[in-house]
Amino acid sequence: MTIANKASRAPKKLSMKQRYQVLTRDLDWEPTYVDPKDVFPHTEFEGITIHDWSKWEDPFRLTVDAYCKYQAEKDKRLYAVLDGFAQSQGHLTLTDASYLNAMKLFLQGVTPLEYQAHRNFAYLARHLNGPGPRFASLCQSIDELRHTQTEIHTLSNDNKYYSGFHNFQQMHDRVWYLSVPKSFFGDALASGPFEFLIAIGFSFEYLLTNLLFVPFMSGASFNGDLPTMTFGFSAQSDESRHMTLGLEAIKFLLEQDEANVPTVQAWIDKWFWRGYRVTALIAQMLDYMLPRKVMSWKEAFELYFEEQMLKGLFADLAFYGITPPRHVEDAIAEKEILSHQVYWTLYQFSHAAAFTTSVPTAEHEKWLAETYPETFDKLYKELWDKERENIAGGGRHFVRGLPQLCQVCQIPMLFTEPGDPTTICQRESEFKGEKFQTCSNGCQWIFEREPEKYVQAWLPVHQIYQGSCGGPTVPDVLAWYGVQEGDSGEHRGSLDDRRWQEWHADSVKEGN
Amino acid sequence: MTTTTARNVGVDIQESEQNRAVVEAIEETNPACIVQHMPGLVRITCPKRLVITRDSVEQKLGREWETHEFQMAIVSYFGHIKDWDDDEIVIAWDH
Amino acid sequence: MPVKSIGTYDFPSRSRQELYGDDQLVHVWFQGNPWFCAAACYRAPKAMRWGDFWSQLVVPWAEEDPDFDPGARYAWSLHGQPLSPGDDETLEALGVVHKDVIGMRVEAG
Repeated sequence: MTIANKASRAPKKLSMKQRYQVLTRDLDWEPTYVDPKDVFPHTEFEGITIHDWSKWEDPFRLTVDAYCKYQAEKDKRLYAVLDGFAQSQGHLTLTDASYLNAMKLFLQGVTPLEYQAHRNFAYLARHLNGPGPRFASLCQSIDELRHTQTEIHTLSNDNKYYSGFHNFQQMHDRVWYLSVPKSFFGDALASGPFEFLIAIGFSFEYLLTNLLFVPFMSGASFNGDLPTMTFGFSAQSDESRHMTLGLEAIKFLLEQDEANVPTVQAWIDKWFWRGYRVTALIAQMLDYMLPRKVMSWKEAFELYFEEQMLKGLFADLAFYGITPPRHVEDAIAEKEILSHQVYWTLYQFSHAAAFTTSVPTAEHEKWLAETYPETFDKLYKELWDKERENIAGGGRHFVRGLPQLCQVCQIPMLFTEPGDPTTICQRESEFKGEKFQTCSNGCQWIFEREPEKYVQAWLPVHQIYQGSCGGPTVPDVLAWYGVQEGDSGEHRGSLDDRRWQEWHADSVKEGN
Repeated sequence: MTTTTARNVGVDIQESEQNRAVVEAIEETNPACIVQHMPGLVRITCPKRLVITRDSVEQKLGREWETHEFQMAIVSYFGHIKDWDDDEIVIAWDH
Repeated sequence: MPVKSIGTYDFPSRSRQELYGDDQLVHVWFQGNPWFCAAACYRAPKAMRWGDFWSQLVVPWAEEDPDFDPGARYAWSLHGQPLSPGDDETLEALGVVHKDVIGMRVEAG
């Protein structure tokens, strides 16, 4: 096979650089009969100074034709996989029905955030002054809508056979544990355009994306879920463009004016911790929900965060005077206890959730003990041993009551004091004569920085007690959540588990 | 920067038949890189700088390939995309 | 630091006491007991007597722990100070205000 050399090819009309220049700069104009401040009214109130919007670079140099061509190709590949999987009854080749709990959490917790991201990037595509970032935001806005649609479409196949998928949007708006991702994103949506760029574009898409998405997708791959792996990688291929937008945003703000540096630093401090708290749900998913383990939370955190971000990215940002995020040492110190604490919590509240949980099997416990030699046997094994006895005695640990929630991250106050994994961390602040509790130094710092924002938090427990959630009893609230029989509680013996056993018993019989 | 050890940059690529040629081309262009296989993806890391050239990918693929096509392969990266033009993609840290 | 905003930014707390009428939210934190992943949150009348608070709210929650002993001696705390509640004292009289955290710990020996 020989390849024609470059000189013999038909000359291209314009180079990538030239095409990008034409699209993003030559099609832009300076308003003359309207004050630019009236055209772009939202880019000054946050106190960020921009001297020259033309300095924004988009290394992808994406143009409309290339964008449409490659996005169409990505969708084609995905839908080919979806069809093949559905036609071959691919859901029966998953490792176990319990694997789908990770996907329920994804559809209920993450997919609606993609839609919110779509909305806010559309806003940025209108409101940023520079044509380069406006076009990048427009592409991202369309990407996020594509992600919403492909995720719903992919997981709709699971909805034909399994519980917990049928009502994700209403659940996202109402269910207690889903207020964690929802309020995180709501906090970003309620920020100005630059803070949103640092919150979602930088902190979420660049700093934490590998912790959020790659574990889901590798987990899918390892557990026989080809469609999820494919939509995940399809979305992630856009994600690398989004990471670039986030990184460009932060560099641009830092380079435009030195006075921007402290503001940007404070946003990094805030949004690192906000995003990190949301990843607590991922931590338990990796260590407990996946029947076949890909990597532990500790390994993922060390690789994707400590190695790539702290040693790589923050060494780069030091040039501008940016330091690693405040409270990062608390996150590092938690890496061997986080997933265990969070899963223990979801386990005892899963009667009020739209996923199911179970006591880890002996094999699973062995993996946990080997993976977490410093903590699992010492701190958590005895809880599961006690629960096994409890179950043998006819019990099953479901909490009878409602938990105290953190005013900022909205997670039950389950986290422990830095350096003391046996004492729950309780922080209290007062604002206008009212007490507000937070789960950590990070969340308290965020609360005290902008208390007038967080006093408005819609805390599920407080709302239930105000009578806003369908009624005073657990069945009332579950009905209001849209939770149906089979969605929640113990996995063993659940609707999904029973069906799974039946379907596989049939296949054994037929095979004989 | 005063750090003495060269910081890594890296890229995660979806594992597929098509992308095998891309991975091979990257290995050839960046002799110092390390390739790891993880479920569903290939992770390539390299000290300081990683370059993907159109020429090398076309040689491996045996057909024309435009650098935009790399968007079909990439899952994630770390580092900074310093340049992406018709002929090459460069991932490196700035400082 | 005030929120940076395009307009006046002044909104009431969504959990303020007046939304609960004559009741208030009260947390009970069972310290040294990892069986309960987090403190419990109750809605209780300010005039509720301690004895009722204990038997109607705390005990039904705590007995979910198979090792819970309602007859054990408990050390109580409020606002970082020891608390010695009498059965007939009301929450209000004990100094418990909206969203307070009451500590509860099994006394050694």
